[in-house]
Amino acid sequence: MSNIDWSPFALTFKLALITTVILFVISIPLAYWLSYSKSKFKPVIETLVAMPIVLPPTVLGFYILVALNPSSMIGGFMENTFGLRLVFSFEGLVFASLIYSLPFMVQPIQSGLSNLSVSLAEASSSLGKSKFTTLVKVLLPNIKPSLLTGIVLAFAHTVGEFGVVLMIGGSIPDKTRVASIAIYDEVEALNYETANAYAGVLLVVTFVILFIVYLVSDRHRRKISQ
Amino acid sequence: MTLVELKVGKYLLKSIVLETPQSAPYLKIDNTINVLFKETEVIIAKGDLTPMSLQNRINGVVSKIERGEILGRLTLDSDIGEIVSLITTSAIDQLILKKGDNVTAMVKTNEIMLSA
Amino acid sequence: MIFQFTKKLNAANGHFRLEVDAEITEGNLITLYGESGAGKTSILRMLAGLLQPERGYLKVGEEVWYSAEEKINLSPQQRKIGIVFQDYALFPNMTVRQNLEFALYKNQDKRVIAELVDLIELGDLQYRRPETLSGGQKQRVALARALVRRPKLLLLDEPLSALDKAMRDKLQNYILKLHRNFNLTTFLVSHEVKEVFKMSNEVWVLKDGKITSRSTPLSLFSQTDVSGKFKFTGEVIDVEKSDVIFIITILVANNIVKVVADEREASQLSVGDEVLVASKAFNPLIQKIN
Repeated sequence: MSNIDWSPFALTFKLALITTVILFVISIPLAYWLSYSKSKFKPVIETLVAMPIVLPPTVLGFYILVALNPSSMIGGFMENTFGLRLVFSFEGLVFASLIYSLPFMVQPIQSGLSNLSVSLAEASSSLGKSKFTTLVKVLLPNIKPSLLTGIVLAFAHTVGEFGVVLMIGGSIPDKTRVASIAIYDEVEALNYETANAYAGVLLVVTFVILFIVYLVSDRHRRKISQ
Repeated sequence: MTLVELKVGKYLLKSIVLETPQSAPYLKIDNTINVLFKETEVIIAKGDLTPMSLQNRINGVVSKIERGEILGRLTLDSDIGEIVSLITTSAIDQLILKKGDNVTAMVKTNEIMLSA
Repeated sequence: MIFQFTKKLNAANGHFRLEVDAEITEGNLITLYGESGAGKTSILRMLAGLLQPERGYLKVGEEVWYSAEEKINLSPQQRKIGIVFQDYALFPNMTVRQNLEFALYKNQDKRVIAELVDLIELGDLQYRRPETLSGGQKQRVALARALVRRPKLLLLDEPLSALDKAMRDKLQNYILKLHRNFNLTTFLVSHEVKEVFKMSNEVWVLKDGKITSRSTPLSLFSQTDVSGKFKFTGEVIDVEKSDVIFIITILVANNIVKVVADEREASQLSVGDEVLVASKAFNPLIQKIN
């Protein structure tokens, strides 16, 4: 065991952490808009957000690759302006993960907000509070389980992604070789022992994360129903 | 208070109500309204009427008599339709009422209600 | 206070136009009375700025809150209103006291909270969370919270419909007390005749989005179509034949009354029917009870 390289895990959790933090910040306004907007574009946006759930990761990976490579418009712009190359780089992985895990963060928050009684927000408005204050002080504190679900699902989903990462990241050690890729590589190289260690750790970590979520949301539900 | 005169067929009935034409819009000359009274408030007289205070009098012919233990139910045919009177069975016996008798039905002025 | 609102509304049985136009003496307590779907709640929401009319005008005191022509539309935040919602809308993440403090505007004197806690007798509940309160307690908190900012208008959307009779009585008294102490103009949506009588000095009957009558409760409810002065509504709970007559047992509020009826009337009645019991003012006897 001692000679197993654990760096893919460090990379995986770094990726998942950064992705989750960024997603949390952008998903709250997006979910807020989706649950209160009456715009005719709402179904379009909802569909786009949900696409990564059903699309094969390779399809998503392929289009992100096409969009981000330095000879494309976006890729070229990023490279020339910021010196950022988004394919086969860690930054590229973050970008792809944001898109790939977006629905797992947005949907729980959106459904949490939609399930709150409209009169809560209206009462807050009638008490002179701005939409922002209402969101931060009234709405979000009352959907804590949904926020937690979003955070955990987005995190866990990023940890487990494979297809998209392979398409746009490849398998560069310490840059794009995340745990799921490492397992694949080890199996291909017939290093079953290492693959087994990697897979086992992922299994246990995922179990623990989900277990905590269910435990917490169950407790919250019991508290509410009292 | 208002004393309302009501034309019902050939009869002129009178009702006394607390309302005034100002408080109740239905109290208007020539306005058509419903006249209500309770069967138990219909007094029956037979034969010549001695002078009495009752002004609402309707003539009719007894068309049906139902005798109960205490109360009896008389149905009268009159010019203004069927009238039912609930009086005691002993009163029916005392007046020796039978089908086909000519009688007068009477209702006190304060027992008549109006309904728009 | 003046308002005119026009808006097309959707109801269960199709569309109708809400068209109201009224001038109100400030300080009145006005009941909006009428069938559900007549537009009562919509009027409250338009007053609050939660629903925008298509056309109209709203002036409270000397301030124009809404004017379609001048393109003025104050947001709910800018209007001086207090609303009590049917579902209370207390913030579950805050204690009773925090709910009240949340309502304060910037730099507002906190003494108003102490005053309200005192008036509505919330002292014992201050540090409890909404989920631990009974319906009546929640409603009292909601009422207090609505008044923290010292609004000009108090809007009550059937606030008492979910409460039992005793609680309802108590809350009606609180509302009346606050209405007077805070110099409010209050709009109350209510279906209950007794409540309308007790609470309001003006009642508007709404039907399909129009105000069909504006009067005092007394003249509205005593001006229906039977001239009897001794008059109640109740529910038939028994129809029994006795001799040649029928005895109808009727529940009027909490009292049982019995009325003699002829078979022609009795045959049209069955248990559960809502009925009007009326007699002339000349007939009932009155005796003092000690």
